[in-house]
Amino acid sequence: MTHALLPVLPEAVLLAAACTVLLLDLFLPPSRRHWSFWLTQATLLACAAITVATAELQPLHAFGGLVVDDMLSDFLKLLSCVAVSTMLFYSRGYLAVRGLFRGEVLVLTMLALLGMMVMISAASFLTLYLGLELLALCLYSMVAMHRTSNAASEAAMKYFVLGALASGMLLYGMSMVYGATGSLDIHRIARVIHAGQGNGTVLLFGLVFVVSGIAFKLGAVPYHMWVPDVYHGAPTAVTLLIGTAPKLAAFALTLRLLGVALAGLEFDWQGMLIVLSLLSMVLGNVTAIAQTNIKRMLAYSTIANMGFMLLGFLAANLAGYSAAMFYVVAYVLTSLASFGVVMLLAREGFEADRIEDFRGLNQRSPWWAFIMLLVMFSLAGVPPTLGFYAKFAVIEAAVGAGFIWLAVAAVLASLVGAFYYLRVVKVMYFEDAVDTTPIVARGDNRALLSANGLALLLFGILPQPLMGLCVVALAQSGFL
Amino acid sequence: MLFALILVPFFASVLVAAVGVRRPRVAPWLAGLAALACCALLAVAAPAVFSGAVLRSAVPWFAGVDVALRMDGLAFTFALLVCAIGALVVLYAAYYLSPDDPPGRFFASLLAFMGAMLGVVLAGDLIVLVVFWELTSVTSFLLIGFWKHRADARQGARMALAITGGGGLCLLAGVLLIGHIVGSYDLDRVLAAGDLIRAHPAYVPALVLVLLGAFTKSAQFPFHFWLPHAMAAPTPVSAYLHSATMVKAGVFLLARLYPALGMSEPWFYLVGTTGLVTMVLGAAVALFQQDLKGLLAYSTISQLGLITLLFGLDSRLAVVAGVFHLLNHAAFKASLFMAAGIIDHEAGSRDMRQLNGLWKTMPITGTLAIVACGAMAGVPLLNGFLSKEMFFAETLFVESHRAIEWVVPVAATVAGLFGVAYSLRFIHDVFFNGEPVGLPRTPHEPPRWMRAPVEVLVVVCVVVGVLPTLAIGPLLAVAAGGALGGPLPEYSLALWHGFNRPLLMSALATAGGVALYFGLQRWIDLHSVTRLPVGGKHLFDAALGGLQRLADAATRVLPFGSLPRMLVWLLLAVLFAAGWHGVVPPLAAPPLRVPALGPDDAALAEIAIVVWTLAIATAIAATVTYRQRFTALIFVGVTGLMVSLVFVLLSAPDLALTQLLVEVVTVMLMMVVLHFLPQSAPAEPSPWRKWRDAAIAAAAGLGVTGIVYAVLTRPLSSISPFYLARALPEGGGTNTVNVIIVDFRGFDTLGEIAVLGIAALIVHALLGRFRVPAGYLTGTATPDWNPLLVRTVAQSLLPLAALVAAYLFLRGHNLPGGGFAAGLVFAAAIVVTRVAGPVTGSGPMSTAYPSVIGAGLLVACATGLGSAWFGHPFLTSTFAHPVLPIIGELPLASAALFDLGVFLAVVGATLLALLVPGLLADPPADAAGPGATP
Repeated sequence: MTHALLPVLPEAVLLAAACTVLLLDLFLPPSRRHWSFWLTQATLLACAAITVATAELQPLHAFGGLVVDDMLSDFLKLLSCVAVSTMLFYSRGYLAVRGLFRGEVLVLTMLALLGMMVMISAASFLTLYLGLELLALCLYSMVAMHRTSNAASEAAMKYFVLGALASGMLLYGMSMVYGATGSLDIHRIARVIHAGQGNGTVLLFGLVFVVSGIAFKLGAVPYHMWVPDVYHGAPTAVTLLIGTAPKLAAFALTLRLLGVALAGLEFDWQGMLIVLSLLSMVLGNVTAIAQTNIKRMLAYSTIANMGFMLLGFLAANLAGYSAAMFYVVAYVLTSLASFGVVMLLAREGFEADRIEDFRGLNQRSPWWAFIMLLVMFSLAGVPPTLGFYAKFAVIEAAVGAGFIWLAVAAVLASLVGAFYYLRVVKVMYFEDAVDTTPIVARGDNRALLSANGLALLLFGILPQPLMGLCVVALAQSGFL
Repeated sequence: MLFALILVPFFASVLVAAVGVRRPRVAPWLAGLAALACCALLAVAAPAVFSGAVLRSAVPWFAGVDVALRMDGLAFTFALLVCAIGALVVLYAAYYLSPDDPPGRFFASLLAFMGAMLGVVLAGDLIVLVVFWELTSVTSFLLIGFWKHRADARQGARMALAITGGGGLCLLAGVLLIGHIVGSYDLDRVLAAGDLIRAHPAYVPALVLVLLGAFTKSAQFPFHFWLPHAMAAPTPVSAYLHSATMVKAGVFLLARLYPALGMSEPWFYLVGTTGLVTMVLGAAVALFQQDLKGLLAYSTISQLGLITLLFGLDSRLAVVAGVFHLLNHAAFKASLFMAAGIIDHEAGSRDMRQLNGLWKTMPITGTLAIVACGAMAGVPLLNGFLSKEMFFAETLFVESHRAIEWVVPVAATVAGLFGVAYSLRFIHDVFFNGEPVGLPRTPHEPPRWMRAPVEVLVVVCVVVGVLPTLAIGPLLAVAAGGALGGPLPEYSLALWHGFNRPLLMSALATAGGVALYFGLQRWIDLHSVTRLPVGGKHLFDAALGGLQRLADAATRVLPFGSLPRMLVWLLLAVLFAAGWHGVVPPLAAPPLRVPALGPDDAALAEIAIVVWTLAIATAIAATVTYRQRFTALIFVGVTGLMVSLVFVLLSAPDLALTQLLVEVVTVMLMMVVLHFLPQSAPAEPSPWRKWRDAAIAAAAGLGVTGIVYAVLTRPLSSISPFYLARALPEGGGTNTVNVIIVDFRGFDTLGEIAVLGIAALIVHALLGRFRVPAGYLTGTATPDWNPLLVRTVAQSLLPLAALVAAYLFLRGHNLPGGGFAAGLVFAAAIVVTRVAGPVTGSGPMSTAYPSVIGAGLLVACATGLGSAWFGHPFLTSTFAHPVLPIIGELPLASAALFDLGVFLAVVGATLLALLVPGLLADPPADAAGPGATP
């Protein structure tokens, strides 16, 4: 019994801790709120530790095949824990100043993480969907958390309605696949399709809806319309959450759905992903140029980046999947730092979310300007930052799979992209500061953000360990 | 050792950045030491390289890519150029920078650039090369924008980065293609695979991409315009980056990849044409510049065009000439830039309209500049003459179309002519030609050591010019050998080759140049030329503006902003995708199966037609009357009833029953909610929108119809037989639907009733403490609030309904019914009783519902856990058929107990959801009840 539960131990701990914090926070006076915070952090640490300690090379199935504990899920879960923990450190001051630092945030964040973890280790459509919805519901409510902000309420409303519709589509697609193959288990579905027993038409319809649902969750064009409004409207802390760890889970979702269950329909979904990827890269990058709000700009950058991720993914082989995974990991790391800096500059009554708010940052603080410079270079794909290798890996995977023109288009798109990232650099370094308020932040926040920024450089110079982990995790999980 | 060569500048850069803030005087010393250390390392490597060895070293780095460094003759020569000129520039800059400039930042960037440049030339792997390539762009960005308070510096820096960085990305794509063709990024393997690459279909795209990278870096037409704008950089930077090293990276790349990509028609036309155009254009424009550095920038563009043309000529001898000119150019152009910097520094201006007659005040600098200009113009006994002669000779050997054979030497002569003219202008306008005009400072000679680097370089120019074989012969041999990757062609570095055509061309160019300059001086005032039609800047600006406009347009059109439009977009995208992938091909194919009607079906068909007609009619009626909300709701209810009839027709009585009940309860709920909303919906703002929405709705409807049609006409293997076959033997019931709900998929049901309970609790939490203010519901209170008849009927209804519910519940496992249906019936009856009954503020009653829900969940969970008691997994069911007296055989299954939980949860949730909003209508304690108000 205990052994059977071992694969879901991190999830179980997380759930228990979320309930505990929920109750504990009811009885804590606001001055003791940090107890909840540190309990949450301890839980995240414990989850990460358990994930590492119970990691095994061979995939382990539990709950009658509903969940799988393989290297891939261990790796992604670990990263999700780290990302969420970092996000909480970054957001603490930001939320406290706005009166949002309450137990709900911590509980919702933990439950969202639970949703991600369920998604990551799902081996059945049922668990996949369950995790997805848990994550989405937490995010919807977190976007709406800032109840006095009109923008946040509007964003939450749009996110919820569109998200519900997209979930419906995904579910519709899943049920069609179920109808065509008679199974919800991703491996069994793969076998049925491989044996040519599935109903072709129904499968293809199912695939269209599944891909639409996935594209929505990733924010790929033309299913991207929620991204800018939600990124912009949500409190930056929540934007940070949405823009980071869930991308890992979304990658897992894509991989389990397309890479495993529907692998037999590779040629069909490749075509769809080419369109999604190309549109995302071009439209995301072009539209980002016109943005004056950095959160909105980063939202379009997300769209473009997800296009790049799909570029690697659609190669549909180990090289492609690992490149896409590396890309997502790199993106999450970069995204954490970017919103981290935005929140660092924000203070009471000031969001620091316009590009002009970064004016002369170099004069105010050369160090944070340098960190932001690394972030922007990484996003633009300038060596030797992490972003360069990520882009390199996906483009190489696409070339390797024979999508040469797509790869060339990707390069041109990133050329356009470099333009608006460098605008931020220009504003920071070459313009005079208007605002000379000193930047204050907690020590842990400063240390972590510095480490995060430098990691972009470090992993940029030595990408092999990270790339190796991606490859090994995928290879051990059956993607050969 | 190769790694040390690259790491020294980078480490020194970090050190200088750290130390420079506190001790600005140390920074140049550290930087100079680092440059000298690199030179020393090169000296150590020199014997091996000159003996023809290729030094290699590599560490594994990234999947399949090593950080490989490789030093052959070409790399060595370039590295020497980078380190030696770097050392001179550091010395020069130490005097050039003003006390206000932060030396730490300057020298750190300069050293980082030096490291990056060394990385480019020493790269043994194409990916490594691209990485360092981009690094040079970035460091050059920092150096050009060094004086950040100046708008032109900021703009120039950004433009340079946009162009060269973008070119770097193209190079990356090209390199990836090459790697794809060769199967490796290793330079040795790539260079050896020239034939393979040239034969590959991806050769031309790869070549174009690589050339884009090289041309942007080397400021070739039409990407040349960033270089003049980069002149906003401090002059040491211009001397180092924009004449001697970075802009040479492009031509270095041409030389480097010549064995792999060169020797083909596309190479000849692309490289040759670009070089030719750039050479002539740059030379012509240079003559009309007013800014001293602008003149040098355009002359650099022209000279780079010349080198590019040499590589493009595609003969082995031309490559040798190209490498030779590259070295010579580095020497004389760096010294000229430094001289220009000295003039700027000591005279306070670079404008040739102000600078005149400096010979009197700066004779030594003047002499040095004149010698360097002579080298640039190709005066004999100076290094520029030798390589220019070789170039002229090569242009005569072009073997191609007759027109081209004729055009190339003429263009070369014309460019040479302009070269002489602008060199002459530099000398004449700056040092002679009258007196200075309004200079901000009184010109004087620079400090001794500031001039030293210029002196060194000028001496190099002269020595190479006089004793070429001794001074440069071996270096040129190894460099050209590295570029060609094979045996060297026959060439001679002698000063005198006799009277031949190259000499004639030289003479023509020199004479013509002198004539041109003085002619122009006479006919038009060169100082009045301020605007030139040539320049890609406006193209660049136009491109940027276009991009910005495109982005603005995309922002306006695409993200919509309004939720309905987003929804429409989402739906249309899905429909399009589904249509593209699913509907179009199946619809095009003939239907596989047309549902055939049996005799029984035919009888039913008439009823079906009536039912469907009614369903469609009421749906349309609901749409038409949507502004009267209550009317529309009633129509919707009728549609729902028709749908439940359809289920009956399709032999799904259980579904029909549930649908019926759900429909009733939903309509009731909506009635309650509508109470609080305006009675009529707002009108659509415009008929156009109405029609648009109608069209979208029709598209969505037709799309779904298409999907349904496509699915229904395909053979479909259903899973129903599976459940039908197993319901009785494994679940102990004949009502398959119920068995599925409570047994086969009991887990789902447990989850669902939990969700139902949570939803009800949320209603409770949100609305439980909320009361509508009195007077809000005007017009609804009438004296017959609760007529007696309704009250009486309702009271007798409750026991009856309870009986029906019990009946439905008990027979559920075998016949249509079940806990869910029973729960709905019971709940509906209670609601009717409550609504009909006397209205009193009955808060306490509502708190009972959560307990009912809780009880239901508990019962369901307990049933599930019960199986664990017997050692079975959660929710394993069992059944028995005991025969009781009077009642007869009673089918009992543990699942029935589970169903009881479902029943309780449904009752609790429905009541909570329906009655809590109903309570809102209750009058507040201090106001009169609605029944009492007339």
